Amino acid sequence: METLTLLALSFDALLNLSLLYLAWILLNCEDLLKAIVLFVAFGLLMALAWVRLDAPDVALAEAAIGAGLTGALLLTALAKLRVIETNKGTTQQLKQDSENFQTLHYMTPLALLLVAIGLGYVVFSMPPISAGLSNDVATNMGNSGVSHSVTAVLLNFRGYDTLLEMFVLLVSLLGVWSFGSTTSQHETTPGPVLDTLTRRLVPVLILVAAYLLWVGAHAPGGAFQAGSVLAAAGVLLLLMGWRPGGYLSTLPFRLILVAGPGLFAITAALLYLLKGQLLAFPVEYAGIIIFALETTATLSIAVILAALFLSEPPHSDKEHI
Amino acid sequence: MQAIYFLLALFLLLNLIAGMWRVLRGPTAADRMLAAQLFGTTAVAILLIVAQATGDPALRDVALVFALLAAVTAVAFVRRAWPDEDPRHDTD
Repeated sequence: METLTLLALSFDALLNLSLLYLAWILLNCEDLLKAIVLFVAFGLLMALAWVRLDAPDVALAEAAIGAGLTGALLLTALAKLRVIETNKGTTQQLKQDSENFQTLHYMTPLALLLVAIGLGYVVFSMPPISAGLSNDVATNMGNSGVSHSVTAVLLNFRGYDTLLEMFVLLVSLLGVWSFGSTTSQHETTPGPVLDTLTRRLVPVLILVAAYLLWVGAHAPGGAFQAGSVLAAAGVLLLLMGWRPGGYLSTLPFRLILVAGPGLFAITAALLYLLKGQLLAFPVEYAGIIIFALETTATLSIAVILAALFLSEPPHSDKEHI
Repeated sequence: MQAIYFLLALFLLLNLIAGMWRVLRGPTAADRMLAAQLFGTTAVAILLIVAQATGDPALRDVALVFALLAAVTAVAFVRRAWPDEDPRHDTD
């Protein structure tokens, strides 16, 4: 037993040190491409850290978003940035921006230090041993409609958090769309290796997304994880040169975009009218309501994330016909 | 038995940290990216071992998601970052 604790401790210590070291190099890195690769590596180690903290739900989300989608998103952003830079050259505006950034450079650590002091104060003022709300969650699990405590908290006990998060995602997509279309990069036709990989991988990604959605009721998983895995399938197709074109502006696509947050908001409003409480699911229907909400949320999250990756606003009706 | 699992996990983590040298040194972007992909494979192995050691089957799901999405990052790199980085390979 003694060696086991020692081994676990040295594993955790090594993991923590490499996380701190990676974060430091990553922030000091001048080469953006190197920084992106370091960020992907950081996401991997961070997911391992969440596993060691006994939070497999967060580890799943970190694995799907931090190590998977963000890497692809950042690499594409960098490619677009390069196209813009070669088109315009280093203009006065860019110089001005970097000068403004210099003042930010000194302000940011100061702001972060204040946040760190505040957080430190909160952490040290907490009682040393406290069960928090976990006892309340445990006693009410029977009424939640699911058997996994994280899903019960996210979709039932604190459902409004998830409701608002869905809207944050939708608004972020509208924000990206409002920038208008960017110069698209020159696309080469994918070789046979990439082609075969995509054909094999996309069905597996869809299957795993469905599995994660289903398993969320009684084990780590759920809408956000399933949605990001499904979005990865879309991102893969987009990377291979598939373009939805005019399809983006059609009614079914728009309906899928708003289905998740929309159904959530409608459920909240109906329950408020019927029972006088926002998102207080009736016990006997809680399971089925949560499943319906999670399924639509998965679809919406997947489409929103993939559309964020594409980052081109849908054409107006006149253009695409 | 658990001690052996953790010893293996520790060994793999040391491997991963050794791989960090390649990420930092490069010299080309592809070297860095391949090392990061190796990180992903090692992390999958660590997760499977820790799943066995702690008896938490959810960690196998994390490993599954890791393995699947590492491929997406690799494809994004090949399709978006690589040709710009090294013009010598553009002549095919």
